[in-house]
Amino acid sequence: MTHRRAQSLWFWMFAGPAVAGFAAFSLWPMLESLWLSFCQYEVVTPPRFIGLQNYAYLFAHDASFWPSVKVTLVFTVIQLPLAVGAALALALLLNQPVRGRGFWRAVYFLPSILPQAVFAVVFGYIFQADGGLLNRLLALGGLHGAAWTTSPTWALPVLIGISLWGFGYPMVIFLGGLQNVPRELYEAAHIDGAGAWARFRHVTLPLISPVIFFNVVMGVIGALKVFDLAYAFSVAQAQPAPGGPARATLFYGLNLYQQAFGYFHMGLASAMAWLLFVCILLITAVNFRVGRRWVHYGD
Amino acid sequence: MPFRQREPLLWLTVVLLAVTGFWWAGRSREPRPAPGRTVISWYVIISPLRDLYTAEVAAFEKLHPGIEVHIFWVPGTEYNVKLKTLAAAHQLPDLFFSGDVWLSYLLPFSRDLTPLVRRDAAEFGLDDYFPAIRRAMQLDGKDYILPEYLNLSLLYFNRRMFAAAGVPEPTAEWTWDDLVRAGQALTHDGRDGSPPVWGSSRVEGWWGEWLIYVRQAGGKAFSPDGRRCLLDSPAAIAGLRFYLEKSSRYHFSAPAGFEPLNGFVNQRVAMIVGGHVNYWLNYNQTPGLDWDVQLLPAGPGSRSGGELAIAGYSISRESRHPEEAWALAKFLTRPEAIASIVARGSLSVRRSVAEAALRQPGPRANPHNLAAAYRQFEFGEPIPHHPNYVEIMFLVVQPEIDRMLLGELSPAAAGRRAAAAANAFMDTFGSATP
Amino acid sequence: MGIDARTMHRRTPAATVCLYATLALGALVMLVPLAWMLLTSLKTYPEILRNPPAWLPASPQWRNYRTVWEGFAYYRFFLNSLFVAVMVIAGTVLTCCPAAYAFAYYEVRHKELIFGALLCTLMLPAQVTVIPLFKAFAALHWVNTYLPLVVPAWLGGNVFGIFLLRQFFRTIPPSFIEAARLDGASEWTILWRLVVPMSLPAVLTVVIFTFLWSWNDLFNPLVYLQSEELCTLPVGLLYFIARAEQLTGGSLGQTPWHLVMTLATIMVLPVVGLFAVFQRYFVEGVAASGVKG
Repeated sequence: MTHRRAQSLWFWMFAGPAVAGFAAFSLWPMLESLWLSFCQYEVVTPPRFIGLQNYAYLFAHDASFWPSVKVTLVFTVIQLPLAVGAALALALLLNQPVRGRGFWRAVYFLPSILPQAVFAVVFGYIFQADGGLLNRLLALGGLHGAAWTTSPTWALPVLIGISLWGFGYPMVIFLGGLQNVPRELYEAAHIDGAGAWARFRHVTLPLISPVIFFNVVMGVIGALKVFDLAYAFSVAQAQPAPGGPARATLFYGLNLYQQAFGYFHMGLASAMAWLLFVCILLITAVNFRVGRRWVHYGD
Repeated sequence: MPFRQREPLLWLTVVLLAVTGFWWAGRSREPRPAPGRTVISWYVIISPLRDLYTAEVAAFEKLHPGIEVHIFWVPGTEYNVKLKTLAAAHQLPDLFFSGDVWLSYLLPFSRDLTPLVRRDAAEFGLDDYFPAIRRAMQLDGKDYILPEYLNLSLLYFNRRMFAAAGVPEPTAEWTWDDLVRAGQALTHDGRDGSPPVWGSSRVEGWWGEWLIYVRQAGGKAFSPDGRRCLLDSPAAIAGLRFYLEKSSRYHFSAPAGFEPLNGFVNQRVAMIVGGHVNYWLNYNQTPGLDWDVQLLPAGPGSRSGGELAIAGYSISRESRHPEEAWALAKFLTRPEAIASIVARGSLSVRRSVAEAALRQPGPRANPHNLAAAYRQFEFGEPIPHHPNYVEIMFLVVQPEIDRMLLGELSPAAAGRRAAAAANAFMDTFGSATP
Repeated sequence: MGIDARTMHRRTPAATVCLYATLALGALVMLVPLAWMLLTSLKTYPEILRNPPAWLPASPQWRNYRTVWEGFAYYRFFLNSLFVAVMVIAGTVLTCCPAAYAFAYYEVRHKELIFGALLCTLMLPAQVTVIPLFKAFAALHWVNTYLPLVVPAWLGGNVFGIFLLRQFFRTIPPSFIEAARLDGASEWTILWRLVVPMSLPAVLTVVIFTFLWSWNDLFNPLVYLQSEELCTLPVGLLYFIARAEQLTGGSLGQTPWHLVMTLATIMVLPVVGLFAVFQRYFVEGVAASGVKG
């Protein structure tokens, strides 16, 4: 057997299962999902091809599509800068010579590895309008607490707040990036008379720009896909229909799940899924393009 | 290499463990019957009647030694989606708890029970059911549910709170005005630091209460054929307005979002309009709760408008043991079984049991004013059998009502938007669900 | 270096105090929900309703844990979660190591393309694949079993793991591999007896993250596990809230939040424990994904 043939053989023997898995659990479902998005598929009968009607319905007639898009976008746009900003700030703080850095890092990182469902439940309990911890504390101070979790004005901000507890993940990534910045550059800048802020702008920022970029991209994708948090929150609030009053917390992923498994509109849900996917691809592509301009690699 | 000897053994162990793991992972959770016995699976909502059902099943199995019953308990809030997911996976249990609200979209999965009903009508006493119940178990003239349970909209009130406030208890002649007056008299705003107490609760998030007002104002949610949404009619809007003004103008209901959790049980609200018969069991289990019912107060249009809904058992179309499931369904809805449910606190779907309950003297678990509850039958309206009713009401209409409660929409705007969205939905989906 | 470094890094006492105060405040904020969760789990039901709310329980009700674990038989959910996690970890290790090895050491046409395609799946949201997968699993009668959760792991489902391992494998000098080959060791032996033992930190990181993902997964069990006896902890927690009304045996609908918090704590403890022991691997795994990304 030639060397190349042997390589080929071993490659497929070792990587075969993974590639097969990719084909079976990623590639094929992705394509089938695209096909289903062009079909009317209500589970009871086989899928029936209807062209772009699902998409047309979503854009023009579906009462819950645009609200769910809005909720998800608002969540992403507000949560991302806050999370990435907090992560960067903490990472900068921890990058200094501090005692017990491991401890601090552990404390800030821990919540981000815990299940989102738990946070939704615990915070839902704390924020309960009638008898929750926060409102009872406010009442002690003579203030009248709002209906944090049941009011459309506050429910989404509450969820944004809850999700911020997971900023430990990007924080650790930032820390890793910061620690890769060579000390000498800081020394050189300091010798040149640069103050702390100038050092940050001209040394730190450019050198961790790949990391910022990475965190932003991952953060956006994660925010667009939110499901666990939204679903657990709606169960913990015993909402008759998920998404809260006036669809205030009807995240895109939650809406999709309801359409698919709550109402059997699997064709429609597939269309929603592909729209989400395309969005993610577009945003990632845009991010890469933008990134190429201001991210500095190397030196 | 030193470990070469042990290597195959190690991998063999790994393979064996993996195989075992896969076997365990893939084990079907369908119950395996002992040889010669049939197993039927029964899907039911967890309720305080759990012990009753378990006893009934034991009795049934004794009567029918060849049948084993496997019960799946599911929390009420998950029941809907879980049942549908199972239906989508073609794994529906033989017998499942169903209701006329759900029937419309579970129709493709529900067996047509008409032949069985006709065959055994005398045996299980088909004529014993109230006519309204009899009608509700059918769709297009075919039977799909064997009823066990019904829900009727009523006016619930807390006798102790009424007595303490010196307000006369509700009568069968009450109107909306009486409701408002009593409600206002019973409301304390909690300015002294104690939690606020409201004259009436307000059910948010589903149609249980606001639909009553719409109907009582002379309006309808849907046209008789269920194809057009009529929430934009002036009467319907008037009903929605009253729903809103309970808090915004008359101040005897909590503002949107501040409804005390389980207010009636915790004695934070004095009345409930609508309610659910399901909760009678729980009210009866709550010490210190002295409660009763009355006919719904009449609106400007009529007194009718309350819901009349039934729940019972359906058999799945793909069931391989329909006869056994049917036997169980009949057993669970026989007069003795209904009577034991009613004794805990419920309304009866059977006339014989209802009459017996009404005749029973002395303290009983049921509300004192049981007669009013049975009178409410005349005023109950069944839910339209539109296949997408539930979805339309939850997904399309309810958010507009939510926004109205928040003050973002006027009742007129809410009614118009809800009707427009519902009609658009029906134009697209129509009767897409077969 | 030297003097300049010291000048640059010397902090004023005020700045130091500020720094530590900020860190401490932040840490407090991060931990408050968890602390509240733990403390609530140790209270009795009347205690959690008390006004003004008490921070500490009067006397810790450790029996709440007993109630939830045995009384409501939630040990089943714990074991189910554990079973799924173990199966998923086993499958991941057994298929991702060979795959990573293959991508690191073998040359095949279009190898980079295939690898790139695999990496793209990281962007694929679960919502896109779930409907066709559900349809297929339903046809196979795999719904309501653990197979939909477990089988993908045995077919290299953890692309991130493959990526991480490949990075690590590449750092092993090829001369080692060559030497082993010359000694007559088979590729399989080289992988499992040479490369993997040398890459234990990376493998351990993959194991940890796989465990984390599996233990915390809500979506897949929600969709595929319909019987109560099969459910895993995240679903079990939500189940518990939904049914808690009927289980307290007391008044209706007053959710026993203390028991809910107990269950949440049980759910969180293994992760915290794992983190306490293997913090280094968590952090390095995360950092590795970021720096390379």
